[in-house]
Amino acid sequence: MSSEENLQETDTEARFEFKKEQHSAFQSEKGLTEETIRLISEDKDEPDWMLERRLRALKQYKKMPMPTDWPGQPDLSELDVEEIVPYIRPDVETRGGAENWEDLPDEIQDTFEKLGIPEAEREALSGVGAQYESEVVYQNMQERWEEKGVIFCNMDEAVQEHEEIVKEHFMTNCVPASDNKFAALHGAVWSGGSFVYIPEDVTVEMPVQAYFRMNSEGMGQFEHTLIIAEEGSEVHYIEGCSAPKYGTHNLHSGGVEVFVKEDAHVQYSTVQNWSKNTFNLNTKRAIVEENGTMEWISGSMGSKATMLYPSSILKGRGATDNHITIAFAGEGQDIDTGAKVYHNAPDTKSTIESKSIAKDGGRTNYRGLVHIADGAEDSSTSVECDALMFDNESTSDTMPYMEINESKVDVAHEATVGKIGDEDVFYLQSRGLDDDDAKQMIVAGFIEPITEELPIEYAVELNRLIELEMEGSLG
Amino acid sequence: MSGATQFHAGVDVETVERIAEERNEPEWLRAKRLEALEALSDLDYPDVIQTPGRTWTNLADLDFEALVEPFDQTEEKDWVADDQATVVPFHEALNDADLEALVKEHFGSVVDPEENRLTALSTALFTTGTVIYVPSNVDAEDVTIRTTMNGTSLFNYTLVVTDQNASVTILERQDTGADADGSEERYYSGIVEVDAGENAYVQYGSLQDFDQSTYNYTLKRGVTDTYATLNWIEGNLGSRLTKTGVSTLLEGESSETKIVGAFFGHEDQHFDLDSKVWHRNEHTTADLVTRGVIDDEARSVYEGVQDVGENAWDTSSYQRENTLMLSDESEADASPKLIINNHDTEASHSATVGQIDQEDLFYMEGRAIPEQAAKNMLVEGFFVPVLEEVEVDELREDLEERIHERLH
Repeated sequence: MSSEENLQETDTEARFEFKKEQHSAFQSEKGLTEETIRLISEDKDEPDWMLERRLRALKQYKKMPMPTDWPGQPDLSELDVEEIVPYIRPDVETRGGAENWEDLPDEIQDTFEKLGIPEAEREALSGVGAQYESEVVYQNMQERWEEKGVIFCNMDEAVQEHEEIVKEHFMTNCVPASDNKFAALHGAVWSGGSFVYIPEDVTVEMPVQAYFRMNSEGMGQFEHTLIIAEEGSEVHYIEGCSAPKYGTHNLHSGGVEVFVKEDAHVQYSTVQNWSKNTFNLNTKRAIVEENGTMEWISGSMGSKATMLYPSSILKGRGATDNHITIAFAGEGQDIDTGAKVYHNAPDTKSTIESKSIAKDGGRTNYRGLVHIADGAEDSSTSVECDALMFDNESTSDTMPYMEINESKVDVAHEATVGKIGDEDVFYLQSRGLDDDDAKQMIVAGFIEPITEELPIEYAVELNRLIELEMEGSLG
Repeated sequence: MSGATQFHAGVDVETVERIAEERNEPEWLRAKRLEALEALSDLDYPDVIQTPGRTWTNLADLDFEALVEPFDQTEEKDWVADDQATVVPFHEALNDADLEALVKEHFGSVVDPEENRLTALSTALFTTGTVIYVPSNVDAEDVTIRTTMNGTSLFNYTLVVTDQNASVTILERQDTGADADGSEERYYSGIVEVDAGENAYVQYGSLQDFDQSTYNYTLKRGVTDTYATLNWIEGNLGSRLTKTGVSTLLEGESSETKIVGAFFGHEDQHFDLDSKVWHRNEHTTADLVTRGVIDDEARSVYEGVQDVGENAWDTSSYQRENTLMLSDESEADASPKLIINNHDTEASHSATVGQIDQEDLFYMEGRAIPEQAAKNMLVEGFFVPVLEEVEVDELREDLEERIHERLH
């Protein structure tokens, strides 16, 4: 059976919505105190410098106000960080991730089986990491990449095994804890995530993937991803996220740092399907050197509220950024997402394509910033945002910001908002499709420019999720 | 924001009472002025855009203490109008019972005096203004108002009310007097309220051409009744710093608005321009078009908002903004926004920033046109799409002339 057929035959709703009993080997108290941070760091047996960074981040977190004054931002008033359990270590024997799914406890193995991860690994991936609660429980990569010096391990292990390189790059120049309140929170309580290192001139042909699963009620997941792509290397990293729905709020606040060296190429794809009680507040950033290329592909389907603006700092001459963003907000969801690009060198290019769909009272917002610094001559940027609205209860906003300090540039921004075309629906109905199928087909066509950038498994997955949303049968 | 207002001690109850007293104002207006004065310290400066680490226009840093001199408001004003429309100086209007009732009804109804600290300041201290009233079914010819500022401060107020089926074209110009002290910094503040009645047509054009030591704050807003059309032309050439907002509240069914902007900044000028439209009823249409050129160290900030409310079925809303940068030292910031709460909407916006097209330049040089002349022609050509929207010949010609002067 091909994976496409497999995905179609699996009941996607059941795949995300199941809950497992909550057991853990170690669980922190709710809320944030210095003591909690020390316990987390001690449980991980971290070097002192990491503990110091965590404590510094905690101080910054306490000092910074909650963001409340962004125009039209999602309501975060129901998010009480003091009620969130920041750290849960699942009860697995192998710290740092087993190399065989069979070595995991049945319930965790079963979780990832249901999510289709081992299947995808066999068929289409170079390596897989799987995180359950706060820790990576499975990590494996094909041997041929290891032989070429590629590192793909969990972040906690990287702190121990690749200490110097982590110390240099971890929340220093790319995403410092002082960047924003949730980056500071992340810096204090981060756990798990991936470390990816691609040596010079190595092209990792098949994507590597990390999957993040929250199972426990009221927890926070704060995984950290650090990718370093050396000169001339190439990698595609995919992350998937999901959680079952609970009555109280969960918080996901990931941190992603990507270093794209000269002539390197990194693609970072996310399909986010957090449950609708999850606040999803991430900081993702890449620094791109000369002639490097960074591509951010994001599908935001889940969560109660998302605030996510992956950013690229185009630091070297000729660096390129591509953003492809799709957001789907259904009932009770507020998906505030977009892009940030800083053109800090000549001949840099960026393109941002955003598609959003608002339905059943959901809200989508494209919020983006393009900054062209003085001296970044012959740079160009093009931003295109298209939004589709299903009904009158929904909201669709577009808020781009452009700061242009250089005259020898080409800057264009375009946006449209409209309803689903009655004529298109009518046309499809006259071809024998019912109303729902016609609308699904129109939506699938609307987002196709984005799905065609994804590996087939993800494209199919995204379409399945949208179908479910349109049927109103999920969450 | 609360605390110090940054205005000097002379901005007080006594001053406001004296302004009202000297002009023999009715009690209701004095009360409004005093309310505005009292609110000053609790109000914020007008909203400005902020991005991480940057504030696009910093109003709070202006030296209002020196700029605001309530008793140094000298100006010359002249009005040209035919006898179809009533065009009278603000305080003269208060002496006429019918007009006073009209002013009382509309004053502060479109722009809340307490919208922000600068509107409140303007309400408390204004000494001059114009009331324009066009009765039902009257087709008024062009109305021209010229305000020449001579003192340190000037607070100006304009009210336009048109009844059913009335139409009027208004051109308001602001400049600085030849005798004004060029080394002194000045502050101009203008509020314009327009109430366009059922099926009325109003075109309101403005050409701001102050000297470059003037700080300029203006807020122009109109509300439309059923089938009304309100078109704005906003031309900005002068001033050291301008913060201006032009907006239409499309309240009546099938009403329309157009906001056309043109600006040309050079040296160290700073223009912060907002165009906003709120669609609040069915079948409303808006078209926002702004074009601007910046040279030297000038900076432009543009914000355009198309806000479609949930009752605004069958809305059409379009926005375009284009900035041409002639110098590397200049900066152009733009933020066109869509806020859409009704799905039965066709809305789009686009914005571009760029330099003179090198191919166009090459083509013209190939036709033996010297480089500078070719550039000037291309800049003048860049403004054509907005100039074409200007129905008042006088305003269009003035704009063309001033753009031409600035290039040569």
